[in-house]
Amino acid sequence: MTDTTARPRTDGGVVAPAGGAVGTARTRLEGRDKVTGAARYAADVPFDGLAHGWLVLSTVARGRITSMDTAAVLGMPGVLGVVHHGNAPRLHPAGLFGPDGQLQLLQDDRVPHVGRPVALVVARTPQQARAGAAALTVTYAQEPHDTVFRAGHPAGRPAPAAPARPDADLGDVEAEIAAAPVVVDQRYTTPEEHHSAMEPHASMARWEDGRLEVVDSNQGSFMVARVLATLFGLDQEIVRVRAEHVGGGFGSKGVGPQLVLAVMAATLLRRPVRVALTRRQVFSTTGLRPATEQRLRLASDSTGRLRAIDHATAAFTSTIQEYVERNTEASNVMYAADAIRTRTTVVPLDLPTPGWMRGPGAAAGSFALESAMDELAQAVGVDPVELRLRNEPSAGPVSGLPFSSRNLAACLREGARRFGWADRDPRPGTRREGRWLLGTGVACGSYGAGALPSTAAITARADGSYTVSVGAADIGTGARTALALVAADALGVPPESVRMRIADSRLGAAWFAGGSKGTASWSWAVTAAAADLRERLASVDRVPPDGVTGRGDTTDAIGALGKQERQSYGAQFAEVAVDTGTGEVRVRRMLGMFAAGRIVNPLTARSQLVGGMTMGLSMALHEEGARDEALGALVNSDFAGYHISAHADVPDIEADWVEDVDDSNPSGIKGVGEVGIAGTAAAIANAVWHATGVRHRALPVRLDRVLESGFPAAR
Amino acid sequence: MDFLRPASWQEALAAKAEYPTAVPIAGGTDLMVEINFDHRRPDALLDLNRITELREWETGRQTVRLGASVPYSRIMEHLRAELPGLAQAAHTVASPQIRNRGGVGGNLGTASPAGDAHPALLASGARIEAVSVRGTRMIDVDDFYLGVKRNALAPDELIRAVHLPKATGPQAFAKVGTRNAMVIAVCAFGLALHPDRRTVRTGIGSAAPTPVRARVAEDFLTAALADGGHWDSGRPPAPSVAAEFARLVAGAANPIDDVRGTAAYRRHALGVLARRTLGWTWQAYREQDRSPACA
Repeated sequence: MTDTTARPRTDGGVVAPAGGAVGTARTRLEGRDKVTGAARYAADVPFDGLAHGWLVLSTVARGRITSMDTAAVLGMPGVLGVVHHGNAPRLHPAGLFGPDGQLQLLQDDRVPHVGRPVALVVARTPQQARAGAAALTVTYAQEPHDTVFRAGHPAGRPAPAAPARPDADLGDVEAEIAAAPVVVDQRYTTPEEHHSAMEPHASMARWEDGRLEVVDSNQGSFMVARVLATLFGLDQEIVRVRAEHVGGGFGSKGVGPQLVLAVMAATLLRRPVRVALTRRQVFSTTGLRPATEQRLRLASDSTGRLRAIDHATAAFTSTIQEYVERNTEASNVMYAADAIRTRTTVVPLDLPTPGWMRGPGAAAGSFALESAMDELAQAVGVDPVELRLRNEPSAGPVSGLPFSSRNLAACLREGARRFGWADRDPRPGTRREGRWLLGTGVACGSYGAGALPSTAAITARADGSYTVSVGAADIGTGARTALALVAADALGVPPESVRMRIADSRLGAAWFAGGSKGTASWSWAVTAAAADLRERLASVDRVPPDGVTGRGDTTDAIGALGKQERQSYGAQFAEVAVDTGTGEVRVRRMLGMFAAGRIVNPLTARSQLVGGMTMGLSMALHEEGARDEALGALVNSDFAGYHISAHADVPDIEADWVEDVDDSNPSGIKGVGEVGIAGTAAAIANAVWHATGVRHRALPVRLDRVLESGFPAAR
Repeated sequence: MDFLRPASWQEALAAKAEYPTAVPIAGGTDLMVEINFDHRRPDALLDLNRITELREWETGRQTVRLGASVPYSRIMEHLRAELPGLAQAAHTVASPQIRNRGGVGGNLGTASPAGDAHPALLASGARIEAVSVRGTRMIDVDDFYLGVKRNALAPDELIRAVHLPKATGPQAFAKVGTRNAMVIAVCAFGLALHPDRRTVRTGIGSAAPTPVRARVAEDFLTAALADGGHWDSGRPPAPSVAAEFARLVAGAANPIDDVRGTAAYRRHALGVLARRTLGWTWQAYREQDRSPACA
């Protein structure tokens, strides 16, 4: 492939020609390395003279550190140092999106929650570091703590408005509710949940020739490097962060505590230091989805047309950082109504700071809204699919903005057809198969789409290959492969001639793998770089030995975008069986139909959607962080106690998509990482109601809750 | 922590006599978790993996002598006919990887009430072959569990094997967990019909400080089956009998509330499992050949 210049120019220099790579199923570029063990993750990369740090975590939920017996630990075999608030480097305010109190580690003697890092023991081997950490005696002046969340907690306060989505105040909610013939008014709760990525967080930091080098497990090396530079008062030019392979993140791998502590230790000890978290430390220190309590009021006329949606939610945060779980997003965009009101409350408690966890806001928010819609369907006597179709909006219900594209109706119709919904008897508690009661349920979901500014470069080589450099992260999503396909089509070359370089902060500014906007953001930049490269190649006779490089930066193009409602949508269908004797719930099959823009790689996109649905199933039936009120500590901080669905819980799950053309972004990509979990839990809970006649408004739908709810009420 | 690696059974016994606090380790599926979580820090570990005879079994005329380290996966594959209750229980143990490593000796050694093998051992009437340099003794499984994670082994004893009567009738095992696999039992129940003696035996797991039998329930059902002539007729016991059996099984438990379930839920679910396993085993009894010669 040396004759690349003979290829036709792209239309307008941005939109890719139909090269056929995008839209064709491809296995991951790094798949072989991963399954053979050749792929190295952050904790696998060897370094000369590497020392190992082990976290020491607070054991009280609130108080001050009064003493720390470091002398005894420093005398232990192999121990090189103990980093603590008395000797740790001073940090500047920094965070991915504004100063983040979680990152201010070892800066003072305050203890804000159980499981806060209070020291790092560094030794020659991980075992020696662990022994040192276990031996470090820390004494505390304990203060009374409060870790019990509830919506009406006196510490609750209104959350600051999201910049792009203030609280909704459309119409007169109270008047509509007062006048409506049908009103659903219920409370829904979801528990604390944990990301549980397969690869525990790990970071290595070292200083080499006055430059800080980091090997990390994160979701965006450029943004992590920027935060690190600010935090430690360094020029970002001297900070390099890489995260070549990442074993899952689900939102938990921003700037991890292990990274900050590894940099501190490498700085103090002047040698490479790796900090790898144990599973229990991951549970304690890397964020969580906060418990929520939501009140939903829906009012409709006698045909099910919505007159009012009133959605009030409360979730906890910590005392050191205000994290807002934005559960009401869906109530702004899903359904047309005469009046829509949303309110969000945060309750600061002596708990770890929550963070984004797959489908933040939407996962728990859709459980409340879509359960309430099912209750409304029941109250009005309208089929739940039909109810949603009747309330399909033509523009943003609150914003009034046009939808960039929206094809939820097709998801509902095509999903209903494939699932066999038409034959459904709406009466609950009537289908029995031996000891099982059977039921089906439906729910919808949405998640914000769009692209954020990124840069990319593509270098054409004399040998006919192309090297794409973009600060993307592949956290198991298949982003690396997807971007190769996008680049191949944009260049008009076969994917085999494209080489990918990602996950390195030196590759330039880029959005991170988050908000379901990674692939859309990076693809746009890659497409722009390809256009630039093709222009440059057009002016040279042949590619010089050091190659020709084209660059793309989407900052201006994204800044010039008009305002629109941009979301991915999905409709999910579930069939469950409920054991009449034990209350066990088994999901028999699930189908998700999605409208998620242009699908780059059907193989990995389906994997993302099925993964999201599986996580939603897990949320519906299993996941629940249990805290001890007296200690404020997580009781089940391991996989024996914190249950995620096992293979035997996950039945036949199918995910597919309908046509969804979004012209607002030249890549047409919307993102599939989060929409898969939006609505899943409600679909399953609605199916449990259909099976048993008992409504479950508290997640997870545990077997004892099913049994003790008076089940089976309709037998 | 010392790590002792005897090459033979005799060396293992000698090591255990010399280091009575050494904790035996075979599959390590339970013990390593405890060490990892720092729940215990033994002075020494006694590695039994070089002793191949612990992974072997002998099938006699009336009993199976099951080596302490025979993995659950082997029990599932090879001893389904002889030990159906234990084979069923083995199916519910953790994951394939764990079933390839873990064996009944480990369940007995740690004596956790949640061990999946216990109900089947109780229901079949197993005996534990405990050996030390002083000699061998057989401990009836009824006398083996002394308290939470405490058993009847002397400090110098090791479990060589478990002797289980070959099944003379249908056996069943059922377990309730908060998910469908890889789960610590919320409660578990084993039932064995012994048509040769015209008795039944039971085992309850995860619902009392130790694995226990529901003796009153066994006596009730044994009498009801005899009084009704069920062993000969094959007729299923009346629903009222099954319900009373279930009630008595639930009453034999002494459960607690914990993160996996409430005590009330456990009692209820045990009753359900008792009724179900009775239905399953009796159905199997009716379907197997009950000609007079072998009834």
